[in-house]
Amino acid sequence: MKLLPIKLQKHALHKNPWFLGLIVFMFSVWIVLNIPIEKRKYGLSQSNLTTDYTGLLPERIKGIVKAGDRTELQRIVKEANKNGHHISVAGLQHSQGGHTYYKDSVVLDMKTFNKVLEIDEQYKTVKVESGATWGDVQAAIQPYGLALKVTQSQSIFTIGGSLSVNAHGRDIRFGPMAGTVKEMTILTPTGEIKTVTRNDSEEWLKYVLGGYGLFGVILDVTLELTENEVYTIHTRVLNIKDYESYFSNLLRNDDTAMHYARVSVAPSTFLDEMYIIDYKKTGTQDNQTPLKEEHGARIGKMAIDLGRKGGSWEDLFWENQKLLIKSIDGDKITRNNAMRGNSAFMEYTKPSRVEVLQEFFIPVDQYEEYISDLKNMLPDNDKDDDFKIHNITVRYAPKDNYTGLNYAKEDMFGLVVLIQHGLQENEMDNAEAIIQKWTDLTLEYGGSYYLPYYHYQSKEQFQRSYPGWGKFHQEKLKRDPNGLFQNIFYNYYFIEGASHEK
Amino acid sequence: MKNKSERYIPLVVSVGQVAIFPYYIIWLKQASITFTLFAWLFAAFSFTAALGYRIFQSKKNTSSFIPFIYMGMGSLYVLVSILSNSFEFLPYIALLIQVILGFLQGYYHAWHIERKAYRLHAVNHYLLVGSVMVVLSFVKILSPVIIISAFGGVLFMIGFGLAWVTQVTCIELDDVK
Repeated sequence: MKLLPIKLQKHALHKNPWFLGLIVFMFSVWIVLNIPIEKRKYGLSQSNLTTDYTGLLPERIKGIVKAGDRTELQRIVKEANKNGHHISVAGLQHSQGGHTYYKDSVVLDMKTFNKVLEIDEQYKTVKVESGATWGDVQAAIQPYGLALKVTQSQSIFTIGGSLSVNAHGRDIRFGPMAGTVKEMTILTPTGEIKTVTRNDSEEWLKYVLGGYGLFGVILDVTLELTENEVYTIHTRVLNIKDYESYFSNLLRNDDTAMHYARVSVAPSTFLDEMYIIDYKKTGTQDNQTPLKEEHGARIGKMAIDLGRKGGSWEDLFWENQKLLIKSIDGDKITRNNAMRGNSAFMEYTKPSRVEVLQEFFIPVDQYEEYISDLKNMLPDNDKDDDFKIHNITVRYAPKDNYTGLNYAKEDMFGLVVLIQHGLQENEMDNAEAIIQKWTDLTLEYGGSYYLPYYHYQSKEQFQRSYPGWGKFHQEKLKRDPNGLFQNIFYNYYFIEGASHEK
Repeated sequence: MKNKSERYIPLVVSVGQVAIFPYYIIWLKQASITFTLFAWLFAAFSFTAALGYRIFQSKKNTSSFIPFIYMGMGSLYVLVSILSNSFEFLPYIALLIQVILGFLQGYYHAWHIERKAYRLHAVNHYLLVGSVMVVLSFVKILSPVIIISAFGGVLFMIGFGLAWVTQVTCIELDDVK
């Protein structure tokens, strides 16, 4: 056999159909794995209408100020008081009810105000500007073997935004997020810069935390930290009726640091089955494991998009989730990484439809009865309905004594519900009717609902859910006499209400 | 019959494909989300076109597939025109279409340049494309979807007709034998 010179062999290679086929196959697979995820188009705009994450409340604003210097912010607030302008405060804008803007207001975009100012390793605290994200804080404290006490399950949100909605997450030991704030610097509605603590006699923290940006601008915060402990993940599938006792045991034993659960919304196990994920303490501290980044979002999005179709696709999605949690049972994870859930895979950009969140709080001991009534109220298969429920996550929200508008008047379970519906007037009305009915049921059980989301609920339902609303309103009028800090949320619940309620 | 089909049909196919190219590009851009993916989809098209070209060169009796190549390309253009832009898996479908279309066009081009009429086609092709584009620039009422699907339909019918004629011719030749 006559061998070809190497140069000729190379020349022939790219003409070989098999070789070309292999290139095409590998390149196509590579594209499939790297197809980007379409992001929702939302945010602050001076030339177009401003929206938040859902895009449901478009509004024209007067201007955007990128925060950079606190003296400049102080000047803006004082001038706005003089000129009768309104100010709104925005972070990442993932709140969904117009909390970050208002008609003709000047919006302070806090995302650029994002420095981590000081880490106290001995007293385990971090001082950080309010526009920093939880991810920024994690990156700064991780080398010291420290972690946050309470944060949201995803780390993309700004500190100021999360504190303004008094968010909660997977931790079950350190109480509400508001309780982890040691000190805070705020710019008040009259333009003063004040440093406030929990013992402050003027109770600024009570109204700024969970105050939805209505009581001033959070400039910086000192947060309490804990060890970045390594946990063992424990997962299990449960029947709904066993969950209350399971969770009581979990709280009694001190070996679990974090916990959350998901309830099935798949037709064949609708509100019957759930799975739980516990993070059990190992006693080992970590400062080496790098912070995890989101990978494989496209595959996750494909799965979630199939589940969004409802019916048997939702069944398949639920079964896949059970397989997935089984596969991570026994894995090790650091506290910081357990507080960095993925988010990109959840993007939803279908034209003429919207995906929104609602959260209902229910006293821990009422859970089973509540779910049973809920099961009678909702269809188990929403495949052909416009209003579709795609996910219900259960989180523990301990009793909150720190904030004026507290959603957890006692120890509660928060049911975070992911919903899709159409944007036609009749579809919006239908969604509103279902959510109002759901809210009424929640109120019957002594529960409440979360306020950072779109206001499907009526003003009357708001007042029943938040009996402290009157005092909150009085304090707003007292501390912000010119009504400087405004947003659509405040206008809806405290001033105008829904058009049909006027 | 064969000479006529090789004289006129490739010209229609080539000119048609260039004429609908701007409309197809608009659809592909919408399906691609980002410019990066848009570029990758073109790269996939090019690689598979090379594959199609090479496969044509490495096979014997390659002309018999040409009617099916036309039918395949026609079907893809019709598919493009009926796909909804809000379909969740559109980028994946766009990749599949680019891969198949690239292969078919590579194969077709390799066949076309070996035809005797190709040199004549090249001049006519440019003149016709120019004229067709000028005409299309005045068409404001028809949506791109209609133009793509119309060309896809024509291409499919040409392929189907050629396949049918070829089969009839073969049967007649068999009878003569």
